[in-house]
Amino acid sequence: MSTDRFAPGDRVRTRATDPAGHTRLPRYARGAVGVVVERAGEHPLADERARGRSPSAQAVYHVQFRAAELFGAGDHTVTVELWEDYLTPIEEAR
Amino acid sequence: MSRINDVGGMAGFPAIVEEPDEPPFHADWEAHVFALNGALIRRGVYNLDEFRDAQERLPVERYLAASYYERWFAAITTLLREKGVASAEELEAPHEH
Amino acid sequence: MSGDHSSSVISAEVRHVEALLEARGLLDAGEIDTRIDEFLAGGSPANGARIVARAWVDPGFTARLLADANTAIREVGLSMAGGLQEQRLKVVANTAEQHNVVVCTLCSCYPIALLGPSPSWYKSEAYRSRVVRDPRGVLSEFGLELPAGTSIAVWDASAESRYMVLPRRPEGTDVLPEAELAGLVTRKGLIGTAAV
Repeated sequence: MSTDRFAPGDRVRTRATDPAGHTRLPRYARGAVGVVVERAGEHPLADERARGRSPSAQAVYHVQFRAAELFGAGDHTVTVELWEDYLTPIEEAR
Repeated sequence: MSRINDVGGMAGFPAIVEEPDEPPFHADWEAHVFALNGALIRRGVYNLDEFRDAQERLPVERYLAASYYERWFAAITTLLREKGVASAEELEAPHEH
Repeated sequence: MSGDHSSSVISAEVRHVEALLEARGLLDAGEIDTRIDEFLAGGSPANGARIVARAWVDPGFTARLLADANTAIREVGLSMAGGLQEQRLKVVANTAEQHNVVVCTLCSCYPIALLGPSPSWYKSEAYRSRVVRDPRGVLSEFGLELPAGTSIAVWDASAESRYMVLPRRPEGTDVLPEAELAGLVTRKGLIGTAAV
């Protein structure tokens, strides 16, 4: 969709900020670099819904991380479904 | 700040235990709590994210000592209080002495 | 966790709250029992098994299932519409190269409307903490040893999608009819902690 900030194949970094309340960005994936696998739908941000608010929907993405990136060890991947607000783009070095 | 539910990659939990032929609910009250949560969400008393948030806000010692549906019920009564549906006194069942 | 005494205490507390809510018009008489019955009648691992068996015999269905599971499962008379809201079902296929396993590290999200309640171990801190960090070790504890050449993809159900693994069809099952194929599929296979 044209309003999406990210597309499959994009490398992204998850936000490192300590969340103030309920969030659906797991601690182990905070500040980590992953690859957008696909757009997985759109939903109002859980963090805001948990405050009783009704924000409009935003894109959610399946983002794949290498275990080594998350934990410093392991040869598996972990794919997490993340709201667009949790992600920042990475400028690719040339 | 990270909450007690956010356990991915955390050390210290015991071995995984598999219960053979596990029933869907271990007691009637668990099934009631499950259905009660659905009924209240459908009625708009609170939403699913508020429900998760209420569980996560339980004091850590209480959270870890409680069983799965005990946490659910604690979250439900927390929200009923916070949303003004009932007071803490009204929510307490009379105890036999 | 809940011995006889504490079980009867919380049971009384739950009944008390239900009565209070009924008195305030926030619950209808019999609503709880109806919801429980509907839930238990609707969701079951047998539904997942049926989807898997169809996928094993029909490559076209497999392709549609992997592309848009919510639509594809209607072909076998199933739907994701039974719960509080229609959730997006994501089916992930095991191959010789990659084995998938599902978890919800933050709570216990699971496609309950389709598959029924999740097993207690899936809800446990023990599983949720370890499978993202050491999936090979966790699978080994479940008795599943994967070849070294098979990589593992862990899926953490952190948002609105719910996941189901499409296990590999076991060897030597070519002559089995679809209904018998479905009988081979276990709840653990649909989560990824068993081969099938």
